[in-house]
Amino acid sequence: MKKILFTLACITIAASSLLMASGQKEATVDTSKSDELVVWLWDMGFNGATMQKAAEIYKEDHPEFNLVIEDQGDWNTLQTKLTTIASSGKLDSLPDILLIQDNAFQKNYMSFPEVFTDLSNTNIDYTQFASGKTGYSVIDGKNYGVPFDNGAVIFGYRTDILAKAGYTIDDFTDITWSQWLKQARVVLEKTGKPLLSAQAGSSDIINMMLQSAGASLFNTDGSPNIVNNDVLYKVAETYMQMLDDGTCIEATDWSGYTNSFSSGAVAGTMTGCWIAATIQGATDQAGKWKITNMPSLDGIPTATNYSNNGGSSWAVTSACKNVDLAADFFAMTFGSSMELYDAVAQNGVLGTYLPSANSSVYSQPNEFFSGQPIMSIITEFAGKVPAIEGGAYYYDARDAVCTAITQIQSGAVAKEAFQDAQDTVNFMMGN
Amino acid sequence: MYSLRSWRNNKLSHKKQKQMQIKSKLTVENKLSITGWFFILPATLLIFAMSFYPMFKALYMSFRTGIGVNMEWAGLYNFTRMLKDKIFMQSVRNNFFYLIIQVPIMLVLAITLASILNNPKLKYKGLFRILLFLPCATPLVAYSVIFRSLFAIDGYFNTILLNFGILSKAYNFLGHPTSAKIVIIIALIWRWTGYNIVFYLAGLQNIDPSIYEAVKLEGASKFQTFFSITAPLLKPMILLTSIMSINGTLQLFDESVNLTAGGPANASITMSHYIYNLSFKYVPNFGYAAALSYVILLLVAFLALIQMKVVDVRD
Repeated sequence: MKKILFTLACITIAASSLLMASGQKEATVDTSKSDELVVWLWDMGFNGATMQKAAEIYKEDHPEFNLVIEDQGDWNTLQTKLTTIASSGKLDSLPDILLIQDNAFQKNYMSFPEVFTDLSNTNIDYTQFASGKTGYSVIDGKNYGVPFDNGAVIFGYRTDILAKAGYTIDDFTDITWSQWLKQARVVLEKTGKPLLSAQAGSSDIINMMLQSAGASLFNTDGSPNIVNNDVLYKVAETYMQMLDDGTCIEATDWSGYTNSFSSGAVAGTMTGCWIAATIQGATDQAGKWKITNMPSLDGIPTATNYSNNGGSSWAVTSACKNVDLAADFFAMTFGSSMELYDAVAQNGVLGTYLPSANSSVYSQPNEFFSGQPIMSIITEFAGKVPAIEGGAYYYDARDAVCTAITQIQSGAVAKEAFQDAQDTVNFMMGN
Repeated sequence: MYSLRSWRNNKLSHKKQKQMQIKSKLTVENKLSITGWFFILPATLLIFAMSFYPMFKALYMSFRTGIGVNMEWAGLYNFTRMLKDKIFMQSVRNNFFYLIIQVPIMLVLAITLASILNNPKLKYKGLFRILLFLPCATPLVAYSVIFRSLFAIDGYFNTILLNFGILSKAYNFLGHPTSAKIVIIIALIWRWTGYNIVFYLAGLQNIDPSIYEAVKLEGASKFQTFFSITAPLLKPMILLTSIMSINGTLQLFDESVNLTAGGPANASITMSHYIYNLSFKYVPNFGYAAALSYVILLLVAFLALIQMKVVDVRD
């Protein structure tokens, strides 16, 4: 009896695993159909919602069109998948369209050139996009991507906390970092709340401050610009000052960072405008937030109050069997449809499509942000962001600078720490 | 039963009987041998395709260098390059720090607990065994993330230390180089002690209890019994667990990524984590990453060899 039961159990397990294996095969989409496209992205509420709306708009004129969206969870997962597939050579496993972080675009093209399709000679009108943004996906003069979301930096504040300390949003508009440090100390003293939080080990704030002064971690010839970068020393000094004061606290990871202002523990945040969606997630704080520009660096002639953080672009892969369809899709939606940008504005999605700045939807007041027309404010900011040299080694340089700053905090000499960082980046680039 | 046929076979000439015996022996042996090979063949092919082929390909790749798919032959360039790699040297130091501190503490703890658990008069033995082994069953990523939140600035340990007045300001465990490494060591000990206890328990059960009785009659203390009888008899098991622990510690990955994210300024990054960064986070240089992974292999093999030469009692 036992033997029969055991044999039955084995057969059941074998059969069910066979069924599961065949089931997975069926889930793969047959992309040889000429009117269907597969896209990989992350963040269904932001990127996914925009793609879905774009597909709806395109379907109005092309009823047979179908778009399959596959959510990859987050950018790191997508990057790992892309690296694995591209290095294996089996490029057919790639989808037709990929969403790629602007900072990683050059790196991915340099590493895996066969993955990308040249979109320069399609009907996508690149003059309609902000040139600073398009630049991320232009390599050797050719366009390999369609610019998507805006990463213009905003500084959001809890106006009720500021009021308790006797300030208004105007006291934090068009100011310098030394003024910010002074005022933030007062806010901390009177209300016990820091005005800023950052992810430990990820120096987005540092890069934002650098770009606001038009500086970059790389020179025009591609070599690292760290140890002789005067702006970087000023940035590091400011950043460490705010950590020392306690006006900026560090969170261990991404969710720690978002929780810090969602829970009300921190009374402000500074990053790309895409954070507006997350801020609005804390519905109990409606009407208590306002946005403004970031402070500028003291003593730097090229300093401004504007910067950029993040943003991504769409790329068409070489696995796409119908490039004309993909290009036409983009040209009719992201490249020219006011309807698309108006519709997704509710989700906090801001594109870099220049004509959308004049849209009536953009000047609508946002109740959460105390009636400010945040869309037009952000679009105005985006136009003032200094353009900088990015380069493929963005992540290498960012991590190296982060390491240097941590060492300086533990007592190392700034010049030595940054020299170490520059040596590390040179090493990474030396292959 | 003595049948007519068998009686007739017994009457065959001695020479013919011998011939028949040898012939049938060879055929049966060969048959068994071939059958055995057929059973092993599928698994062998799979292991070759999925383990050995990638290993050889990785070795080939370690002699090339370049960005992404644009790799060129470079001979021993990667191996000389890594000597100048400050982050890699830091990761090697970190791995050896974990090795030298965590492995002995864990094995001593495991052997002690196994001896206690082996006591026949202990009540609720089953419960203790389950409790000690349960940490091993936790997923690596999950337990790393939980340990990170326990040691965070607003985490469990800081809250307790603040409430009991031991600290006046929360201590950033994960923000200081040494404490970050110690948190990883604590996490590793918590997780892997139970695993090694199981091995030692198995080894202890193989020791004849009459040895202990004889020693007890001669008046040996618990301490002496342990050091003179138990430990030497457990030598093969100790060798096995220490080789496995060294292998695991040198390949440490999940804790470095999820607990400390490489630690403040690469203070707790491990070799495997750095290899991952080189392949997926930074501009990828797969050849260099392959060379680094072979260094890990060589280190593990070298240390295992030393141990076997020193400790192995088998002839």
